[in-house]
Amino acid sequence: MLTVEQNEELTRVGPGSPMGELLRRYWYPIAFVQDFDDRLAKSVRLLGENWTLFRSPGGRYGIVLEACPHRRASLTYGIVDDEGVRCGYHGWKFDFAGQCIEQPAETDNSNFRARVRTKSGQAREMGGLVWVYVGPDPVPELPRFDVFVQDGVRDVGYSTLPCNWLQIMENSVDPHHVEWLHGAYFEFLGQTQGFEAPKSFQRRHMQVAFDEFEYGIIKRRILEGHSEDDDDWKIGHPLVFPFYMRVGGAGIDQMQIRVPIDDTTTWKLFYSLHHPEGGRWEPQERPVVYEYHWRRPDGTFITDYVEGQDVMAWVSQGPVTDRSQEHLGKSDAGVAMLRKMFKENLRRVQEGEEPLGVVRTPHEVIELPCEKNKFGAGAAFAEQWITGGSMRYSPIQQLLLDLHRDAAAKDAAAGRA
Amino acid sequence: MTPPPRTRRRVVPDADLLPVDPHRLPPPSAWFAPDAERHLLDRPRHCPQCGASLVDGRSITTEYWMADDRVFFTWCGSCHWTGTIVPVERVTTTEPEH
Repeated sequence: MLTVEQNEELTRVGPGSPMGELLRRYWYPIAFVQDFDDRLAKSVRLLGENWTLFRSPGGRYGIVLEACPHRRASLTYGIVDDEGVRCGYHGWKFDFAGQCIEQPAETDNSNFRARVRTKSGQAREMGGLVWVYVGPDPVPELPRFDVFVQDGVRDVGYSTLPCNWLQIMENSVDPHHVEWLHGAYFEFLGQTQGFEAPKSFQRRHMQVAFDEFEYGIIKRRILEGHSEDDDDWKIGHPLVFPFYMRVGGAGIDQMQIRVPIDDTTTWKLFYSLHHPEGGRWEPQERPVVYEYHWRRPDGTFITDYVEGQDVMAWVSQGPVTDRSQEHLGKSDAGVAMLRKMFKENLRRVQEGEEPLGVVRTPHEVIELPCEKNKFGAGAAFAEQWITGGSMRYSPIQQLLLDLHRDAAAKDAAAGRA
Repeated sequence: MTPPPRTRRRVVPDADLLPVDPHRLPPPSAWFAPDAERHLLDRPRHCPQCGASLVDGRSITTEYWMADDRVFFTWCGSCHWTGTIVPVERVTTTEPEH
């Protein structure tokens, strides 16, 4: 239970808000590379501000505030070249740093343009996503987390959800929801609607633990019948501060990404890398992207798959859940720990210090700890994940199933399974 | 002899009897406003390590319940102490057989 004031501090992400200032210390994915196949500029919204994201003919990405500083027309409908973007309304031109470099209708000897600068950021491509940084200098390194840069078959599910990003983050430190939302509730739906619910999620939690580490919080669990020697406890998987969760198992590694669009909107991505041991795949130029569906035309939630159940739990709390009305139990200790981590890092930023997980050292890859044998389910977990999760909407679902089945068959033939 | 069940201390939601709280409370019309008021007004107010205020906006305490206990997961913004604070209404000990 928090005060209304504390809740607002933790959930407001706009410019000038304490959380907005903290969140502006990190890189965010905000578009796919294929978004620029048929255009050079796109409107995006991030941290409560509207931006124009553009790609020059030479392939360089840039991001500036969408509203032209002149008369506020959208720069997305401008002229993009290798120097930057020019407003379509009166021709004012801005370079990648947001500096106005041309004002065609003003007199040549005027220094007016030198005094006009719009807010800008950095933009780069990694793993088929376009990443942006809109915070203060010095610009940190773009963290090359393993899933984004390692080889395999990638597909990315996306949807825009009408709720605050923190509701989704708190779900990442809430292990017990798995056995209920994805276990008992899924089984209930299966029995009443006539389908087979996956069994991997139904095991009871006997013990959970949370450890802080250099990128966030490692979550561990011991399920009924398991021990401290199982991957779920020995390795666990991390919440990566402040907007990711890394999960994996059975040859699938996934980064769940919660981009804070504004106080009440989150762009939610499931970025999956399929690379089962012994599997063979063709090189991919870019990830396959697809939208997963979570609401029917009549407004009810689609809950017959894992992530649809999660979305129901996040969105049904309301746009910003009122934490002054909640009643937490001991199974919510991870939630309390995450709030403490946010508060601690809010303070660090206010005092001019570097918050957790900002990367300053150039690197090839950041490998994150993540269990391989998820829920002790072995290779069967991949099949259950692909058919019982958001990947059921993937246009390459059959290819993924074939990849994992072939790899499992090879493992079995080699006596490894 | 079985001890009588513990009863929780009730805080009467009368403004004159409540300490001044620097934080905003839920609106009176909210579903659990009296409950929230009670829980927010009698939470720990000072760090057990350094004595700094825990309610001045620099720190955070998140309350959760464990059986009869109210557990306050606490981070002090002054000395960075992290731990739990559990108010005790009755000390219960068990005498081992001897």
